Amino acid sequence: MAGRWRDLGLAALGLLVLLLVPVVGAPPAIRDFIMFGMAYGLLAMSLNLLIGYTGLVSFGHAMFFAAGAYAFGLAMQSGKFSIPGAFVLAMAFTATMALIVGAICVRLNEIYFAFLTLAFQMLFYNIILGWVSFTGGDQGLMGGIPRPKFLGIDLADRTQLYIFCSVAFVVCIAILRQVVTSPFGYTLRMIRDNQERAAFLGINVTMVKLACFVISACIAGVGGILLTLFVSGAYPNFGFWTTSGEAIFMILLGGSNVFLGPLVGTVILRLLNDITVSYTSHTELVLGIVILVLVLGLRKGPLDLLADRWENRRQAKAQAVRDAADKDAQAGRDA
Amino acid sequence: MTSTESRRASRRQVLKGAGALAAAGVIGAPAISKAQTGTIKIGVPTILSGRVAILGQTSVGGLKVVFDKFNAAGGINGRKIEMVVRDSKGAPQEAAKVTRDLINNDKCEIILDAEASSAAFAVQEVIREIGVLCLHSNSETSSLTADPKLHVPTAFRTARQGIHDAIGGGDYAAKIAKAKGLKKWATCSPDYAYGRSNTAEFMEYAKHFDGNIQVVEESWPKLFQPDYTEVVTKLLNAKADAMYSALWGGDLVAFIDQANLYGLFDKQASFMVNLGDYGVVDQVKQFPQGVYSGGRYNRTVPATKENEEWYQNYVKTQKHKPTNWSWENAVAAEFVVEALKKTNGDTNGKKMAEAIKGMTLKSQFGTKGTVTMRAEDNTLVDYIIGYGVSLSKEPYVSDFQASAWEPIFELEKQWKKKQGYIS
Repeated sequence: MAGRWRDLGLAALGLLVLLLVPVVGAPPAIRDFIMFGMAYGLLAMSLNLLIGYTGLVSFGHAMFFAAGAYAFGLAMQSGKFSIPGAFVLAMAFTATMALIVGAICVRLNEIYFAFLTLAFQMLFYNIILGWVSFTGGDQGLMGGIPRPKFLGIDLADRTQLYIFCSVAFVVCIAILRQVVTSPFGYTLRMIRDNQERAAFLGINVTMVKLACFVISACIAGVGGILLTLFVSGAYPNFGFWTTSGEAIFMILLGGSNVFLGPLVGTVILRLLNDITVSYTSHTELVLGIVILVLVLGLRKGPLDLLADRWENRRQAKAQAVRDAADKDAQAGRDA
Repeated sequence: MTSTESRRASRRQVLKGAGALAAAGVIGAPAISKAQTGTIKIGVPTILSGRVAILGQTSVGGLKVVFDKFNAAGGINGRKIEMVVRDSKGAPQEAAKVTRDLINNDKCEIILDAEASSAAFAVQEVIREIGVLCLHSNSETSSLTADPKLHVPTAFRTARQGIHDAIGGGDYAAKIAKAKGLKKWATCSPDYAYGRSNTAEFMEYAKHFDGNIQVVEESWPKLFQPDYTEVVTKLLNAKADAMYSALWGGDLVAFIDQANLYGLFDKQASFMVNLGDYGVVDQVKQFPQGVYSGGRYNRTVPATKENEEWYQNYVKTQKHKPTNWSWENAVAAEFVVEALKKTNGDTNGKKMAEAIKGMTLKSQFGTKGTVTMRAEDNTLVDYIIGYGVSLSKEPYVSDFQASAWEPIFELEKQWKKKQGYIS
């Protein structure tokens, strides 16, 4: 319980730090960077709930990112919904879609699960491309996303949009944290480590995986909504396989074993992209080299590496204390 | 356990803080250093990597030729133009982010959007919000400026427009069809919005001008498809009298190379809107002769001294041949320069837009030696549209016939009514 309150406190602190950004007069470019990072951060963090905590490597996670984006964008463009209404509708659509896709996919393991999610993603992507009259096809949702005021909040104002995105982002991260630290989260780890053992202990593995799949899809959907609000449109490549690949890159870059690893990966990837794009068009080459260094050199994400070193040092210290105590006890016995 | 967790939490805070500081440093530093140079900064989001990198390279070339000349003449009020070019990789969300960064971080006062269509719509939304002057120099999708719902007062288009090409091309194709008795047509265009809408509009106007034309086969290869064997076989089996294709760039090069193996171009009349561009001409192994080619950029169209000089100067300074995108961007740059002269160097979006709206420029790319930025929908008109016949060697296009603009205006108005854009 204490851990839960501590996490919530840290989330509040994180939100406070984010809200301080416009207060201290940070340039709009930094706010844009953070908003962009928050959208992709949610995609990566939610994917890590599947990959890092449940052992389900999904190659099709971006379909839920796109589902949230398109459902929200289309609802707003219809003019029949307020922003909270469209938000809820987008969540309901994403959750329903995840429930259907997940019910089919989570029964499979490893490579079969990965490829089936990829297949569903490409199906969804091709529906977006093909249904031109509804989705705008490869041109995406054109004409901007209307942002009518609600509860006195005006998302057409960039600062208010930033605050809205920050709150939504922190709430999602807090939800993810609560999930992974709850008994449900530990069940996910058990399934990841030994699915048969979990089943023998009476856990309905399929249902737990499905619940995890839906939660993670909904968080990715929120990421899609934030990006839609940021770019004022939704585009098919939100749901293309390369976007799922990018999210996996982010997890690789940051690390999958530490809770905030994918978020750090997102920041690294976006920074690398934004810096290299200012100087060269060979962004992919730079990213490729970084990935090679990580895979061949570190063999894990930097945050994972730091966490491991910290743990090793802690254990070494504990061992030293035990050795010293044993030595003292031995000396006492000898005396 | 609790103490370890709390230590981890504080480490995360430190990492987050360090990350935020690093981000602030990396993103903020260029803004501070570049804001003091006193140049007029023009941001250019475009595609510089991947299979269509030639779009970005030759677009920037077109801009540079004009801006270098402007700067060499001393600029305006001592202020010279500085281009800040960024690669969006053609992704709309990246284009939106890059455009915002160019304005907010690099302090660009004008945006020259050299993006392909899908990203151009994303840039349009950024401009709607920020209100700086923007010229879309590559997007040919008609709705960008034709649809009043998408209208942004400070955004203009200097690229050719799909509907203009379709009407001009349809008229030309109908004349050839009547003369040669080409009744059965096949189409082969890329399977995405541009390919489908371009082909539908071309065939609609070809039928409008010649009621005997009928489409007997449609082939929609995927964008960036490497193998066209199946498509070529399908076209041969259709035994059509003529074929229309909106393939472009590397796809068109691959298609021609593979179609040549089957002698496709000897068996039917072919109309290809994107054929006669140097980006394609220089890449195809065996450039086909006798294909009806849409006007993109060619040093002999128009066959004037000014155009030849422009071509020579471009090749000399940019070290590559210009493309269709080069002239479209050169025109965009000319509009910016003329507008700056009118506003006496004031880059305010509204003032620049007022200056450009309805402006007519002297230009070798215009049918009457001028091009005009039509005030009613902020789009370029009077540029050279037409078709010629391909040659396998220089100048690659012969018998070029420019389309008259009056019928294009008339049919464009009808098309706009049909789309619900005007009443």
